[in-house]
Amino acid sequence: MRFSLRLTVLFGLFLALFAILSMRLWFVQIAEGAAAVEATENQSWVSVDTPAPRGDIRDRNGLVLATSRFVPAVVVDRHLVNPEDKDVLIQRLSALLAIPADDIAAMYEAAGVNGTFTVAIVDTVEAYQINEKLDLFPGVRIEKVPERVYISGSSMSHVIGQLGLPTAEDIEERSGLSPSVRIGKSGVEARYDEWLQGESGEVSYQVRLGDVITQRPEVPATPGNTVILSLDSGLQAVVEAALIEGIQLSNEWKDGQRATGNDDAAKNETVRGAAIVLDVKTGEVVSMASYPSYDPSLFVGGLDTETYSLLADQQAFLNLAVSGQYPPASTFKAVTYLTFLEENVPLPTDVEGIDPASKVVHCDGQLELSRLNDGSAQIFRDWYTGDKGWLDVSASLQESCNIFFYSVALGIHDAWDGTPRETVLQEMARGLGYGASTGIDLTSDPSGVIPDRELFLAWQEAQMDDPEEAPRLLDESRLDGRDPWFGGDLMNAAIGQGTVSATPLQVAVSYAAMANGGEVWEPYVVREIRDSTGNLVEINTPTLRNEVELDQANVAQLLADLNRVVTRGTAATAFRGFGDSLFDVGGKTGTGQSIASKDNHAWFVGIAPISDPRYSVVVLIDEGGSGGAVAAPVARQIMQYLMGEEMDPIVVGESAQ
Amino acid sequence: MATAAPSLTAVTDRRGNRPDSILVSMVLLLSGFGLLMIYSATRFGLERAEQIPTGTMERQMIFVTAGLIAVGLFSLIDYREYRNFLPLIYGAIILLLFAVFLFPEVNGARRWIPIPLFNLQPAEFAKPVVIVTMAYVLSQSKNPDVVGWRQITQILVLAGLPAGLILLEPDLGTTLTIPFVMLVMLFAAGASWKQLTTLIGSGVIAVVAAFRFDLLQDHQERRIRVFLDPDLDPQGMGFQLRQSKLAIGSGQLTGKGLFEGTQTNLAYVPESETDFIFTAVGEQLGFVGGVILVAAFLVLIWRLLVIAAHARDRFGSLIAVGVAGMLVFHVFVNIGMTVGIAPVTGLPLPFLSLGGSFYLAMAISIGIANSIWLKRSPVPDRLEP
Repeated sequence: MRFSLRLTVLFGLFLALFAILSMRLWFVQIAEGAAAVEATENQSWVSVDTPAPRGDIRDRNGLVLATSRFVPAVVVDRHLVNPEDKDVLIQRLSALLAIPADDIAAMYEAAGVNGTFTVAIVDTVEAYQINEKLDLFPGVRIEKVPERVYISGSSMSHVIGQLGLPTAEDIEERSGLSPSVRIGKSGVEARYDEWLQGESGEVSYQVRLGDVITQRPEVPATPGNTVILSLDSGLQAVVEAALIEGIQLSNEWKDGQRATGNDDAAKNETVRGAAIVLDVKTGEVVSMASYPSYDPSLFVGGLDTETYSLLADQQAFLNLAVSGQYPPASTFKAVTYLTFLEENVPLPTDVEGIDPASKVVHCDGQLELSRLNDGSAQIFRDWYTGDKGWLDVSASLQESCNIFFYSVALGIHDAWDGTPRETVLQEMARGLGYGASTGIDLTSDPSGVIPDRELFLAWQEAQMDDPEEAPRLLDESRLDGRDPWFGGDLMNAAIGQGTVSATPLQVAVSYAAMANGGEVWEPYVVREIRDSTGNLVEINTPTLRNEVELDQANVAQLLADLNRVVTRGTAATAFRGFGDSLFDVGGKTGTGQSIASKDNHAWFVGIAPISDPRYSVVVLIDEGGSGGAVAAPVARQIMQYLMGEEMDPIVVGESAQ
Repeated sequence: MATAAPSLTAVTDRRGNRPDSILVSMVLLLSGFGLLMIYSATRFGLERAEQIPTGTMERQMIFVTAGLIAVGLFSLIDYREYRNFLPLIYGAIILLLFAVFLFPEVNGARRWIPIPLFNLQPAEFAKPVVIVTMAYVLSQSKNPDVVGWRQITQILVLAGLPAGLILLEPDLGTTLTIPFVMLVMLFAAGASWKQLTTLIGSGVIAVVAAFRFDLLQDHQERRIRVFLDPDLDPQGMGFQLRQSKLAIGSGQLTGKGLFEGTQTNLAYVPESETDFIFTAVGEQLGFVGGVILVAAFLVLIWRLLVIAAHARDRFGSLIAVGVAGMLVFHVFVNIGMTVGIAPVTGLPLPFLSLGGSFYLAMAISIGIANSIWLKRSPVPDRLEP
């Protein structure tokens, strides 16, 4: 090919390239031009969401616990920020508001292209000062934004919950979340977040060359709904005060133990506790307290990591009433008691100290069994020393005699081991709500553990398959492939020890069910939801989760025995001088043993009134030392309030289980 | 002697030759138009920042002035002189390309040498140097219409070294200019189809290998992926591409009118005074303005190929072809990028985009081409009887 020909070919090629460009221009500008005009027109309209005020949270009497107020805030609208001015703007804002420039830059990025974000809440004076020199701050305006206010302070904080910025997952899961608007992170704030959020409004304006040229009428924000709790502020104040006093009382009791040389009972300082008052006929939570608590106001503007980790170390964010899992200990004897009566459990015939014919057991502090393969004796010691005589099931509950309830477990084992009836105790417990989440409308509602052969076999398999698995069965002899469920396990279960664990709320629910004749109600903290003008939007009706068929004579006997616990049993000292209505209240003490390095957990479950049960009251003092000495006095004060008695100061009761 | 004198005079006397007035006036027109577009794209932002609205344009005016002086100067230098200094010029540009690595990184790249008044970008000046170098090698063949494998090897090495250095900066767009110009020049020089297909084939293999073995910088690979699917990055580069297309599209047939561009002015389109200057043209002057601009470039290309056809020697011809190829590549890739048919490689639009080194390098290339025109021989209508 000659040179000039090659040049011609090249020119043809170049011409073709330019023709392609022109055709593309035709396509972009003529064929799609109208659509582009529309898109750019829409783009010049800027919509900014105006956040809705979060709905109120009120107590059952309408008392406001949490609300929202409007406060001036420095807001940056990225539509109106020239990218070149970004750095200067951030520097100026940083200097003005004393916020690190990096933090503001991070918010700027998080808001996204054309996003809007709140830099800081300011007071009126600051707002005025900034308004004076807005020329220096392109894209910045002072806006009234809603802010959460917790009038209740740290009271009820675990029920109310707290706010926080949505995480990336939150934004992915729920549409319409703004990364700069806080959402509920725990408690009612989280569970009822969608009711409380409200709907943001919208301001739209058209921007041309950086100036607002037209504005559409503002769509006002719809405030969130009002959530009305079932909790009663008056009772709550009593419960919270009693709980804190109970923790102090526990430490005093421990000082007393140390003074008498019983250092073993007082290894640690008592710092935690929980209390619940439940309506036994509906499952309504009338009061719920967990200590230590925190003030959710801390989270309103974001919490610094130092304060956060300080509170987190104290487990202040944990709602022990719902999420704490403990051995229910002697409080669980009521379950064994009912099983014994309902199932007509035959007591063992071959053990000294057990009289199956009269259904009495010799509560002399220890039970000797000679059932081991080598014929040696196995001794089960009770929590007391001395001889309480031959006791029937009622007296055993009043005195909290372990040996009687061991005997019930032995009876079940002897009569029904290997048959479907071997789990009568566990089925009673599960029927009453143990071993499963309660279904309460709060977060972190664990199931606790009700052990049986099936569960132990599952644990054994999991642990043998994967040695890395967190060990649930600690005893080596349970891991040799043979049946890991022993008769002793059922004996421990019968007194609420061993692997049995339950949350204070589960205990409250189960006692409510036992007291009301067998109805297991799902506990709840929110009664109803109203819109911001007061119209009823949603009402939480009680939910019956299960109905345990109980002989009402047995229920009446149990209630009578619970009363005897406070009149002459393990809580008699604590309830002395309760008031005229002492005959109409009842309860059960519990002292739970967990690991060796911890002190015993102190329990008391109360029912008031006995004649027509209305409330179940649970007090748990974590490592409180003694149910009778520490938890019962706290419950006594709460029950005095419930029964309309004059409240006495809280003093140490009898150190009983 | 006496009879020979007139013809000898006719051959050597080129005082009557005039510069390529179309070529020079196209450059003047494009540069003036470029200044107007830069002003339209930057005025608003500068006003808002309370600076002189003509500031950016005035700065570019300095480069345009310097560039036009360069066109004159390089027109006056006999391009054949470069052959004597080629090793020196080539060596100097390689040194400068190495020197950029001594200076701090700006926006993730080391492309600039800060000198008084402006930041020198050696890669831009490497473009004409590589063209002259390749033209020299290709003009050395004994048979004028044939290219030897030996020559191909030589230009691969001589062009590959600066191309590699520029890729390291990194500056993908400028790097890619070199193989394109090389192919254009080889074709013009008479390379066989076998030679061309071998080169293109190995080039394709090299690109695939670069992808496979991650030889590309992340941002380069990302740019190519985003070009293929802008939705991958709707906020970042995808945003830029989408906004650029919308701005151009919204110009429709005749545009929104000068200074009426809302998209380019409102910073919806970033870099609308540099790499994305065409969005300002498309939005304000529409399809008509865009096609006229493309046509203006075509005229420029046509003149360069005419110069190539009339050059007095193969060296001059090939330089002119190279300059034409370089301009075509810039125009196509730059405008193509703004309308979504070429990847965002950061190639500016000749004579229009804001930028000193680039403008000067283009001006020098035009000056050299004009010198080739001035030295063309003989001038038929000037032959004396």
